[in-house]
This record gives sequence, structure tokens and C-alpha cells, in this order.
Amino acid sequence: MRIACPHCGLRDVQEFVYLGDAAPQRPDGLAATEAAMFEYVYLRDNPRGLLEELWYHGVGCRAWLVVRRDTLTHAIEYVGLAKSRKAGAAA
Amino acid sequence: MAEQAKSIWRPRSAWAGIVEAGQIGVDGKPGVTALTLDDMGFATLIVPPGSPDLASATKRMIGLDLPKKAFVSLSSTHGVAWAGANHWLLFARQQAGFVDLLQSFSDHAAVSDQSHARAALTVSGPRVREVLAKGAMVDLHSSVFPVGATALTSFAHVHVQFWRTDDGPDGPIFEILVPRSMAGSFWSWFAASAAEFNCRIDRD
Repeated sequence: MRIACPHCGLRDVQEFVYLGDAAPQRPDGLAATEAAMFEYVYLRDNPRGLLEELWYHGVGCRAWLVVRRDTLTHAIEYVGLAKSRKAGAAA
Repeated sequence: MAEQAKSIWRPRSAWAGIVEAGQIGVDGKPGVTALTLDDMGFATLIVPPGSPDLASATKRMIGLDLPKKAFVSLSSTHGVAWAGANHWLLFARQQAGFVDLLQSFSDHAAVSDQSHARAALTVSGPRVREVLAKGAMVDLHSSVFPVGATALTSFAHVHVQFWRTDDGPDGPIFEILVPRSMAGSFWSWFAASAAEFNCRIDRD
């Protein structure tokens, strides 16, 4: 599998570190309930099909990326910089 | 009066004890040449997004354009390579005067001296791409990686930044930086990979 880094171009997946689902947003610190924090930290869907994920290009430009990947076929239909998404917006 | 402690610490090349000048592999005309670069100075420059003046400062102080992504600007004495978003690697061919230069740059960017943290090597020769291809995951063909291109990637699992300088009489020339602590591992891979093409090794 190769990922088209917006900075570096098409690179082997060995250069990247996988974090997981890009959707969860951290609840607002001390104001969050224990249940909301539990859900944010531990609970993840495991969808069959398209999923937006966070990947880190650690062996390249050291940027965090959002990758929309089909978990069934590994086909990637979008790669963008995570930082270009507004903080707090749905990822 | 107490005797002054005399330091036994001395600067030591990153390649000391690892690379020896000579020849490895088959006899005959070398297909690959490696030259250690022992006197270079390196520093990272990081600026906040949209910071305006590093480009003009770079032009003024070393006469080079701040490169766009994945490129390097080179002169006979200095260079500056793209090294990530809002991040560049500044280097000098000689360490003399480098600290003063960094002092000047510190008005325009966050500067971190990496001179003793990198081991640098020039590799060239008609077969050099075949050697690097044994460990590289990036395409080094001229159509993809022209003169002046740089990449952050890994060779044989060692993190590297490398770039392509002007071609020499024997074809392409690459300059490769590896973390100093990985110099031994890198050289082990390089020497084994280059031996079949006959490799001449020069020390700076």
C-alpha cells in the first residue's frame, strides 16, 4: 500500500504510522462527563468500507494526514493535511 | 590553588572508526564513489506558518532562495533544503563561521544546530542509482528526481534526508544525511550494496 502524501508524493506505507479513526473529537476537558470521555478514549467503530483515518508521516515530512481508505480493498480516495481541518469541526 | 581540569573531549568525525579510505569490491574502474563530508554544519530552521521574512533573510545572508517543497538551493559554500512544512535544513560546507551565521538566522526562525547530529556523505558514479535502489523506497529516475530535488525518507530502514546536486562527469551526485548514531548501520548497508560495482571511498 502506498499513500500520496500532499508534501512528499507517493510513499510506501512503511514510512507512516497509523493512529486510527479521524472522526472522534476530544471532549472539552474538565467539563466532559466520564461517559463521554470513556467513549472518546475507548469506543471505536470498525466499519467495512470507507473510513477517514489519521496517519503520521514519521519517516518523511512529519505531517499528520487524514486518509479516506476503504478498509475492505485498501483503495485510498483522499489524502489531506490534518492541520488544514479546523479544530473542532467534524473530521 | 586547584589544578584546572583538562578536558579530554575532542571533536570526532561521525564516520571515525566506521569508514576508511580505500576500495571495496571487484577490481577495475569504480562504478560508485563515496566521499565523507566531515566539516559540514547543519541546522534546522522552523518558522510559524505565513512568517514573511525568512526568505528575504536567506537571500540576504547566503544569497540563496528559500526552496519550495522537495527542493534544495545550493551555492559553493552553503545550501538550504526543504525539510517539511515551514521547516528547512540550512547547511554550510565548512563549520568555520557557522555559529555566527546561525546567530544571524535566529532573528528570523527557530534555529537548532544539528552539526554534530548528522553524518554526511556524497555518493556518485555511473552505478550509484543501482546501489541506492537496493535500500530506497523513492524513485530516483531523473524524470521524478531531477537535479535540485530533495527527499526525507529511509534507506535500508535508516531515516535519511538526501538531495541531488549538479551532475558530475560520472553521472548523478547525491548528498545523504543520516542520524549520527545510525552512521554505522547505514555504512554497513551501503558498503555491502556498493561492493559489486566496485566502490572507491575517500575521506574528507
